[in-house]
Amino acid sequence: MDTIDCDVHCAPASYDALFPYLSDYWRQYITEAGIRLTGLAHAYPRAVAAPAPSSYAELASEVLVGEAQFRFVILNCVTGFETHRNPYFAAAVASAINDWVHEEMLARDDRLRASLVVSTVSTDDAVAEIERVGEDPRFVQVLLPVRSDLPWGHKVNQPIFAAARERGLQVGLHAWGRAGKAPTPSGFTTTYLEDYVGNQPIAQAQVLSFVSEGVFERFPELRVVVSECGFAWLAPLLWRFDKDWKGVWREVPWLKRRPSEYVRDHFRFTTAPAHLPSDPVTLGQLLEMMDAAGMLMYASDHPHVHGNSLSLLLDQLSDEDRQRVMWENAAGLYELGK
Amino acid sequence: MSSQVETRPEVVADPARAVELVDCDVHAQATEAMLAAYLSPGARRMLERYGRRTPRITEWYPRARHSGMRVDAWPGKPGHIWGSDPELTREQLLDEFDVDYAVLEVLSGQDCHDHPYFAAEWNSAVNDWQLEELLSFDARFRGTIAVPHEYPELAVAEIERRAADERFVAVLMPASTAEQLGEPKYWPIYKAATACGRPVAFHTGGYVDHRGAGYPSFYLEYHVGNGIVMQSQLTSMVAGGVFEEIPGLRVVLTECGVAWAAALRWSLDAAWEPMREDHPRLQRRPSEYIDEHVWFTTQPIEEPDNPEHLVYTIEQARLSGRLLFATDYPHWDFDSPRQALPRALGPELRRAILCENALALYRLPRERVV
Repeated sequence: MDTIDCDVHCAPASYDALFPYLSDYWRQYITEAGIRLTGLAHAYPRAVAAPAPSSYAELASEVLVGEAQFRFVILNCVTGFETHRNPYFAAAVASAINDWVHEEMLARDDRLRASLVVSTVSTDDAVAEIERVGEDPRFVQVLLPVRSDLPWGHKVNQPIFAAARERGLQVGLHAWGRAGKAPTPSGFTTTYLEDYVGNQPIAQAQVLSFVSEGVFERFPELRVVVSECGFAWLAPLLWRFDKDWKGVWREVPWLKRRPSEYVRDHFRFTTAPAHLPSDPVTLGQLLEMMDAAGMLMYASDHPHVHGNSLSLLLDQLSDEDRQRVMWENAAGLYELGK
Repeated sequence: MSSQVETRPEVVADPARAVELVDCDVHAQATEAMLAAYLSPGARRMLERYGRRTPRITEWYPRARHSGMRVDAWPGKPGHIWGSDPELTREQLLDEFDVDYAVLEVLSGQDCHDHPYFAAEWNSAVNDWQLEELLSFDARFRGTIAVPHEYPELAVAEIERRAADERFVAVLMPASTAEQLGEPKYWPIYKAATACGRPVAFHTGGYVDHRGAGYPSFYLEYHVGNGIVMQSQLTSMVAGGVFEEIPGLRVVLTECGVAWAAALRWSLDAAWEPMREDHPRLQRRPSEYIDEHVWFTTQPIEEPDNPEHLVYTIEQARLSGRLLFATDYPHWDFDSPRQALPRALGPELRRAILCENALALYRLPRERVV
């Protein structure tokens, strides 16, 4: 079956790999300060993840070899998600990562597509980066970390979506981000387990933000792809969202339809981690409640491992629905395979 | 949405009848002046000179209309606000819907940033007021013990002060706290509540500070977000080993929705499985702790287009013995006992939710009190 893998990670092994794409000033800044590119060491600690491929050769041997059915692989480099707060440095690193992804990966294999990364601390810089590289059709979406200082739907962030849509790009929201900021409403967590599962409530808050702020009324062609934040929570969230909206709609007068209708038209979720019940009857109920065949897009999330839920999910789907999850939903959203 | 109050003939209470309806989240609210009467001169002086210093989240996220209350719940009486007049609560809730027990959650003391000794006095005043104005006014009212939760030693003292009075059926804490609910800081409160046979009811609210996604713009997001906040807090309690440390602890998650529980159970179990050896404090699957220790109040219960889907999620999360009916009187999104629970739940489950589960949890008499 033709497949689009919507979340495969790659990451430069160190700042050395980015040096060709950084100015003298930033090379010196990095060298003199002794800054190391740790990636998301707390997000993907040794206990749960192998390092992401740091070269095309590694990517090819780990992901592409023997996977002839992959028509497309979408690369997500989350390296820059939470390295620092300096907005000038953040912009320079984002540009360097995009150039590295382009030269190291995209230029070497026609099957590869990637998310374009941007500064997550300055809207102006994010827009400038989208303008700089967003015309390249191999970049299919703008990648944003699910953790943020202000929810992404907020009006101060909307120029990012305008710039993305002018170039036919969608938006990816990916787990993690914002080191140094507590991930919960009541402060920091004490275990990795809480942090890992904690991406899911944060993603829910982002869904509320995009819809409530009227982002999809302003950008009717925008789609948002949520990765690595689960999806089993979707249906109950929408039931409550619709119920509350019926009471306080006056606060968000730009919404013309029920919140759930915007979510169903504009959000998609990748399949890893799935975190599903093993009982097939229960699983069937869940898939029905959230219209899984319409809302999900396949992702391996290489090199991260999340248990066996994905195979449970795929086994449960009809051939036709599996085709939608493995191929059609993503092909339509990213306009691939024409 | 069922905020309309229907009219019907006056109900005459029958003391011989068994209890049929327990409302597990009813708000009474004292004005500052009412509580000031219970404060020591020192605390009263502090209140007069500086007021409550705690940030009021209702000001950042204004509620759509009438401060988020039912318009008919604002009494005409001078010096009163919504929830401060027990006669009106009796008329609009207890008599109107034939409520057998109404568990009061007075949120006046819930905020996090008071001076410790002021917080202790203030919460004690909340409990004194509750006792004198409500619990003594109508035997159908049941109280919850307000505590200065950020100062656990003082909170424990307040729990012990009230423990002998059976009309207080739970200890009340906010869902949003300065630290995560699983932190050992709060364990003395949980232990004291458990020692005197009370569950701890966590009610939506408090000071919601850090947020993983940042501050939302609208009350709509804030209000739907109450369920999201509780997911984080329940995760913290489970992962923090609270239920291993205090095996008798019973917690009630109030006004945060119920249907998300299934997805969180699956997620915690799936995440824990490959890391189980890294969490020696957890002897069992995370979902087993939830099954054993956690209750949920219904309001605002999720309303899927297909009511069968609500039945699915209640079964998936194994909640049939753990759901407690609540109206949330006098809030704008009041769930009517006559309308809120869909028929799809079936008579047995509806009866469990409306009454049986609460009787067992709060150890309330099965006979009607009049």
